[in-house]
Amino acid sequence: MVEIVEEPAGKDKRKIFRVKKEDLIPAMKSFYDQGYDHLSLITGIDRRDKIEVVYHLHSFQKNEYIVVKTETLNDTVPSVTSIWKSADWDEREQYDMLGITFEGHPDLRRILLPEGWSGYPLRKNYDLSKVQFVNMDEDGNDYASFDPGDGW
Amino acid sequence: METTKPVNKYVELNMGPQHPSTHGVLRLKLLLDGETVKRVEPVIGYLHRNAEKICELDYYCDSLLYFDRMDYVNSLSMEAGFLEAAEKLLGIEPPERAKWIRTIMAELSRIASHLVWAGAYGLDLGMLTPFFYVFDLREQLLNIFTEASGSRLLTNYMSIGGVYQDFNDKIIYMIKDFINSFPKKLEEVFNLFVKNDIFISRTKGIGILEKDVAISYGVTGPMLRGSGVDYDVRKAEPYLMYDKVNFDIPVSYAKDCLGRFLVRYEEMRQSVKIVKQAINKIPDGPYFNPKAKKSLMIRLRGEGEAYGRTESSKGEFGVYLVGDGTVKPYRVRVRSPTFKNLSVLRELGKDVMIADLVAISGSIDLVFGEVDR
Amino acid sequence: MKTGDTGILTTTMEKAMEWGRSNSIWPLTFGLACCAIEMMAVQASKADVSRFGSEVFRNSPRQSDLMIVSGTVTKKMAPRVRRLYDEMPYPKYVIAMGVCVIQGGPYNQGYSVVLGVDRVIPVDVYVPGCPPTPEALINGLITLQKKIRGETDR
Repeated sequence: MVEIVEEPAGKDKRKIFRVKKEDLIPAMKSFYDQGYDHLSLITGIDRRDKIEVVYHLHSFQKNEYIVVKTETLNDTVPSVTSIWKSADWDEREQYDMLGITFEGHPDLRRILLPEGWSGYPLRKNYDLSKVQFVNMDEDGNDYASFDPGDGW
Repeated sequence: METTKPVNKYVELNMGPQHPSTHGVLRLKLLLDGETVKRVEPVIGYLHRNAEKICELDYYCDSLLYFDRMDYVNSLSMEAGFLEAAEKLLGIEPPERAKWIRTIMAELSRIASHLVWAGAYGLDLGMLTPFFYVFDLREQLLNIFTEASGSRLLTNYMSIGGVYQDFNDKIIYMIKDFINSFPKKLEEVFNLFVKNDIFISRTKGIGILEKDVAISYGVTGPMLRGSGVDYDVRKAEPYLMYDKVNFDIPVSYAKDCLGRFLVRYEEMRQSVKIVKQAINKIPDGPYFNPKAKKSLMIRLRGEGEAYGRTESSKGEFGVYLVGDGTVKPYRVRVRSPTFKNLSVLRELGKDVMIADLVAISGSIDLVFGEVDR
Repeated sequence: MKTGDTGILTTTMEKAMEWGRSNSIWPLTFGLACCAIEMMAVQASKADVSRFGSEVFRNSPRQSDLMIVSGTVTKKMAPRVRRLYDEMPYPKYVIAMGVCVIQGGPYNQGYSVVLGVDRVIPVDVYVPGCPPTPEALINGLITLQKKIRGETDR
């Protein structure tokens, strides 16, 4: 049985539902069947001791907007790419920025930052004082390192 | 008998990030069979300016300037989008006059954005003349922005709880002058496009985006309306003063690049209609909320969470703010419409010619400040 | 330059070359961010840059003399800026347009922005502003022309 708990609405008066990480896929499928065909946004929030993942869903027919929340302690969340295709790049971005591993994602790579970047910038414990440099290899792919290399 | 090795049929080609027709720093990895594109993979992040991180380090009122720089051709709509979320979170309601002023400025900004798009799209398809026409028209809008805010492009005009400076008679005169002369001049530009056979043959039937694909990829804005979905945040969840003005949502059922062009053209005319009604409805009164006057602005504290969504010229622009009770936001997340719209290029770019790929990627209306943030 | 009584102009070869070079600077079409829109406005009818001989925006770095770095240079983009600069033929000039290009601008406390494009390529003229107006960019171009003709101190 999927447990979906409704929480008090936020300051924007949208309904908030909280599900457990294990129930995420069945819960999302049931929302999709209810007509929420547009996954608007995936947000990861670093709460220091845990990671909260927030999904904003929208239904074109009902013209309703709801928020679904889940949380994880070990940085892994099941991927919803099988339900909405727009989850693909959103999950890649959240992996890039917060290091959340979405299990079952077909192609989980960094999207905005180059390969080899160390650390996840939107984590609260990210050290901004460490400078990293990006260089380009012969195929035109970028890689990051702490070494300036030529050209810098 | 000598056997020949099978030749690899496909060629990999790298397009960008410095490419004249990709509207900025888009890089496309193409797999080509002759001149036909078999697979296209957009590589983004060449303008990733860490806006979401810096917003966490700044006060609520200072975060506004990074939103200006996200969609830099449409900065006033971006400001309205951020304030939609921030004012909900901080619990500050702007006075009615400020709301009307914001509505007018956001619509004028939408016109400016679509004009730049039309000029750049013409350049993509090899037309130089419309570029000069649209930039001439846009110059008039920039004069209005300069008069109101002091800056041409990145205005930073709106502020939490109101606007930075009140409208005076000169600005109202300039706006009235603009909306009276604009539709005729726009039609002139429009004829340059649609009476050109080359433009029609390069856009008609090119880049067909089906409705269910568009919804599944989260496409919004003129791209979605060009695919036949009658959806606009201004009607679906009215913000500012959009429920008090009368306008229509243009929809094209052609699903191609020409359809998207026509949707944007009609949107400009509808924006003029909105401004025409709004300019006569501005009430007298204060233009900012005294709870958010300049000396108090950095002391505003936000707790909880708020998601505000607005219709920018590219699609649904959403800002999700999470506060922890301090003067700085805990998490800022931006739903940028072009990020989602660009992801559908993987579907649109299959089995098309390279030249058509330029027409398709141009019709998305890419602005990289917003894709990469 | 000297004009004699007979109406004949005498000058040195170098002066003539510099004069020709400074009045036909062909920029590279290289828009990065916000400032690129103002760079486009420089091309357009109000602030017509062709008055100063720079209307021919070339799409290939091989054909251009001037790189206007217009917009924030991120760390991911910096190697490409360097490569484009290397591909341009000599003599080549660089205008850094906007505060992001000069020192990182509003993004300089972040992690992914290069704090000044002069860490990657040499810069001839800096044009401050966020974004600079078309007039400011034209002023930068005229300064560059003076520099090419040797009329400025540095």
